[in-house]
Parts: sequence; structure tokens; C-alpha cells
Amino acid sequence: MSAWIVILAVGLGSYLFRLSMILLIDRITMPSWLDRASGLVAPAAFAALAAGGVATACTSVGASQAAAPLAAVAVAVIAVLRTGSSYAAILVGMPTLWIMTSLLSG
Amino acid sequence: MVPWLVGIVPFGLVIGLSAAQADIPTLAGWLTGPLIYAGSSQVATISMLDAGAAPVVIVVAALVINIRLILYSANMARHWRGTSLRWRFLAAYLLVDPSFAVGLDGYGRRIDRRRAHARYLGGAVLLWASWLAAIGIGATVGAGLPTWLHLEFVIPLYLVGETVPKLADPVRRRTIFAAAAVAVLALSAPLHLGLALAIAAGITAGLLVQPVDRVEPTQPIRPTAEVPR
Repeated sequence: MSAWIVILAVGLGSYLFRLSMILLIDRITMPSWLDRASGLVAPAAFAALAAGGVATACTSVGASQAAAPLAAVAVAVIAVLRTGSSYAAILVGMPTLWIMTSLLSG
Repeated sequence: MVPWLVGIVPFGLVIGLSAAQADIPTLAGWLTGPLIYAGSSQVATISMLDAGAAPVVIVVAALVINIRLILYSANMARHWRGTSLRWRFLAAYLLVDPSFAVGLDGYGRRIDRRRAHARYLGGAVLLWASWLAAIGIGATVGAGLPTWLHLEFVIPLYLVGETVPKLADPVRRRTIFAAAAVAVLALSAPLHLGLALAIAAGITAGLLVQPVDRVEPTQPIRPTAEVPR
């Protein structure tokens, strides 16, 4: 019974979060620091999610194979710097991950 | 758009699988999809319900993870100013990390506003449907995908690709390095607070840079940034 209520409460709270600033923007003027901060949310969130994802990948495969995701990221960074496209990170990074994983486990 | 779809499907499958195995009704686990609609918060809710944590603790922890949604909301509010209330209620419901990224991409391209709205809504609905389908399949079918594909690594790689070009800007560079460092350090933080901590650290690091530092000859000076309080 309480599982349903917990899920409902989290869902309702999350929806209010999503709605909050969208509804309030017509009534309040955002202070300039908050305006600046909101522009930094995406870089901060993406960097945090990326770093967390890479770190999780490294710890989940164990110390012997942790070099595989790290190598994939390194190759991906170089590919993005060369091409300027964020898709290059996947196109080059995933094959690197597969190859490195099979090399390290073999 | 495509990398997000490829990335969220395995994540949704995992959430569905964990919902099926957890000590809660499977339907309740699946309902975290349409009700909470934010992956890490759903994982936290399901795993803490399974562990038998106190309901208040679960709600607070899951909502703290989702505090970033307020910041996403603030960011999108600029683009949705003046739209109908109905649009905002719907668009807000669909707002989550991947749809935020897809929306920002559209609004950042300086295309027609109506086209950017359509782009956001189309992408967000597609992500929503795929997310719910993936959780449903995960909950019913279970694990079937070959694990050697490591599809869960597609999203971190995509985010690396999105982040690297932004390193050129000194303010964003500080934000990115601070957020990434805290995310790794706080990886095992209790209650899955690492993500919220890392985002807060990144924003703080960026805000601490004096606005005058970012004035470059090619960019117009924003007067509001110079006015003292």
C-alpha cells in the first residue's frame, strides 16, 4: 500500500519541480545570478552524468579491464576535437570499448 | 536524438527488471515510469522501497535527486515564455535530461520558435514512449540483450562529445571540471546524492568566475551582468 503512495508522492513532487519555474517566469523576474546559473546547468549536468557514467563503467568491470572505458573516452575526446561532432564520440568510442575489452579479457 | 534513444532503452530495461525483482507490485514499479519519469530517481525509489526504507526518507531522497528539474525548468522557461498554459503543463511533464538536451539543441539553433517547439515535443514524446516501452519489456521479458555490447556506455560517450566543445569557454570549463570531479568523488555518496552535489559544485564554480572575465571582444557585453546589486 505505502509503495503506491511513495511513488505517487515522488511523481507529484517531480512534476511540481518541472512546472515551477516555467509557471513563475511570467510573474517574477529572475535575478541575474539565477539566470547565469541556469545557463550552467546543462554543462554541469552533462559533465557530472558523463563522469559518473565513465567511473561506474570502470568500477563495474574491475581493475583489470578499467582501461577499456578510459581508452574509449580518450579516443572519443580526440575524435570530437578533430571533427567537432559529438556523434563522433560514440562512433569511435564504442568500437574502441569493444576492442579494448576483448583484448584485456583475452 | 538517436544516441539518447539507444542509451535510454537499456536503462529502461534495467529499471523494468529491477522493478520485477523488487519486493513491490510490478505494476507499481512500472508506474514509476509515467509518474516519476526520471531514471536515477526511479532507480532510487524502487531500490529503497525494496530495501524497506521509511517512506519519508524515500520521498525526500528521490526528490533531492530531481532538484535539477527545477533548474531545467528555469532554463526552458526562457524559451516557453508566452506559450499557452496547456502547452506548458504538457511540456513540463515531458521535461527530463534527454528531452532537455534535445530541446536545448533545437532552441539553440535559432530556428523558428514554432519549429523548435515542435522539435521539442516530438522528441520528448518519442523518448517518453520508448522509455515506458523499455521499462515494460524489462519488467516482463527480463534481461535478453547481449551484455558485451555495453550499450549503457553510449550515453556517457555522447555526453563526453557534448561536453568537450564547451571546454573552450573559461566559465563553462570551470563548471565542467568541477562537476566531473565531484561526480567521481561522490560516486558512492549516500542516497544517490552524488549527481545533485556535482551539478551544484559545477554551477558554483562557474558563478564564482567574475562576469568581467568572460567579456571577450567578439561578444556583446550583457549590461545586467555588470549592474551591482
